Amino acid sequence: MRSLTAFRIVLHDRNSTLGVLLGVVSIVFLVGQQLSILFGLLNYMSVLVDHSGADAWITSANASSADAVNLISARYVDRVIGLPEVLWAEPVLIGNGLFRTKNNSFESVRVVGVRRPRLAGGPWEFVAGDERSLLDLEAVTVDQLDLKKLGHPALDEVNEIGGQRVRVGAITKKVRGFQGTLVFASLDKVKEISRTPPGRYSAILVRFKDEVNKEAALEKLRAILPECSVFSRAELSRLTRNYYFSQTGIGSSFGFSTAMAVLIGVVIITLTMYTSVLGRVRDFAVMRAIGGRRVDIAVVVISQALIIAGIGVFAGFLMLSTFLRATSSSSIPSYLPVYVPVILAVGTIIISLLGSLIALRVALKTEPAAVFR
Amino acid sequence: MATIVLEKIARDFYDGRQMRRVLYPTDLDLKPGELTIVSGPSGSGKTTLISIMGLVLKPSEGRLFLEGKEVTRLSDEKAAGIRLEKYGFVFQQAMLIEGLTVMQNVLLSYAIQGGRVSAEQRRKAMEILRALGLEEAAGMQPQLLSGGMKQRASIARALVKDPAILLCDEPTSSLDAENGQVVMNILKRIAVEEKRIVVVVSHDARVFPFADRLIKLENGKISSDTREFYSETSETRESRT
Repeated sequence: MRSLTAFRIVLHDRNSTLGVLLGVVSIVFLVGQQLSILFGLLNYMSVLVDHSGADAWITSANASSADAVNLISARYVDRVIGLPEVLWAEPVLIGNGLFRTKNNSFESVRVVGVRRPRLAGGPWEFVAGDERSLLDLEAVTVDQLDLKKLGHPALDEVNEIGGQRVRVGAITKKVRGFQGTLVFASLDKVKEISRTPPGRYSAILVRFKDEVNKEAALEKLRAILPECSVFSRAELSRLTRNYYFSQTGIGSSFGFSTAMAVLIGVVIITLTMYTSVLGRVRDFAVMRAIGGRRVDIAVVVISQALIIAGIGVFAGFLMLSTFLRATSSSSIPSYLPVYVPVILAVGTIIISLLGSLIALRVALKTEPAAVFR
Repeated sequence: MATIVLEKIARDFYDGRQMRRVLYPTDLDLKPGELTIVSGPSGSGKTTLISIMGLVLKPSEGRLFLEGKEVTRLSDEKAAGIRLEKYGFVFQQAMLIEGLTVMQNVLLSYAIQGGRVSAEQRRKAMEILRALGLEEAAGMQPQLLSGGMKQRASIARALVKDPAILLCDEPTSSLDAENGQVVMNILKRIAVEEKRIVVVVSHDARVFPFADRLIKLENGKISSDTREFYSETSETRESRT
């Protein structure tokens, strides 16, 4: 009944309810969209690793990320492929090139070469064509998000990257790297574009057989290839994300803007709840006089905060999902892992409760004798 | 049967510079079945006295007994429990909680400590509202009521749990003469017919004729305490009004 009383007060005090709601929605939406962009960028950072389908990545020694590796020798492929634990081992070559657009301007692209016919480490989602197009030596993929930047190349259109003739064989869907445009091609085409010395690759992707203990297999690879770095897919993904997160300042930038969003929300919630409770001091004195204990007043105030927080979290997530839906087909990176909304909702409710603490203090200090003054 | 006994009850307040005595040691006993009016000029200690009687303020000195048990220095929680069980309050302003309907305000005493309101309690609340002429207003918000209706609703809130003691602080001061008479008639009937302790603090001389006992306070001390002079039957009161 106390929470029902709180609910009725919340409904009646529309102005203060809307004020607190604004604070809660600000936290959910502003923090949520910051986090969605952050996770979207994190996905971009390790996109090649996460979608490689490999259990292990072999790179040059002391690699600090998937994008900061030296070339390694092709002979490592032969050493690895013979191991009984290995299902397949495929090289990839990552380089840079200049894409010539229709109006003869140039755009920098990241070219990723994958070996035919397995095409391991290749693109994974398409709006036109598919990965089989890369079986053609000249074929490349471009991403739908980069079409405008690249001068709207059409399917089967012949273009030029790094002075080499290429043909658009497929258009990928949201296949983007942190460093920008990703163009997939055959290993041989990327060798030509990036003028890589023969017998050198950026990394070797390894897939273990299903029945194999993957940890043990990784250790075996490390023992066989002491001059290389051997990572599990998760390790390299984490390493790459950490690298960009710490080296680019993106972590502190997002941390600061997220903290600001929380701070703004807390200030709004605190001030509005405080004002609301001040306006209700007389009512709390009446409740105390007719037999309400301090704990009963606390239940009413906390219930108010929880009710508004609940509604605010719902409204905030509604706005956030609209934002995510609106940006899903745009170039804005946005992604929220399933656990983030749960943490955000719980965090926001805790913040709302913290914001109501000053108001609660005022309410609890209300003396029942105040009704007689 | 409820009785309130005050033994040498006194109260000091700190006024920002020094302690000031607003109620000097006072002896008083209150019994059911009579309407006691506590009167006196502003600052005479009326409100302090009724606050101590109502367990919403602790005395600085003296002892307070309720039904023979000392209740002078109860914890907040215990005092709240006793207020909930034994007391009803009517304040100078009706002090109905906005956002709750009249009925919800009346039922607040049942709900405030987290209890569930039963159908029987609702029925009883409606009976009281009906008796006070507020049946039609049960579902209305307080801001839609007249001053007299609000005060009657606050009386209903005070009565819903059958309190043995009803403490009223200037219940007619915000009402016109006609509504003031209505409210006082109700309080008189509650005291006499329902055998409750009813204490009304008022400096409004128009309410004195309703008193079975009139206590006058001056400068924190009882200056007179009379029983006979103001007693009158309902017939004489009606003929006078």
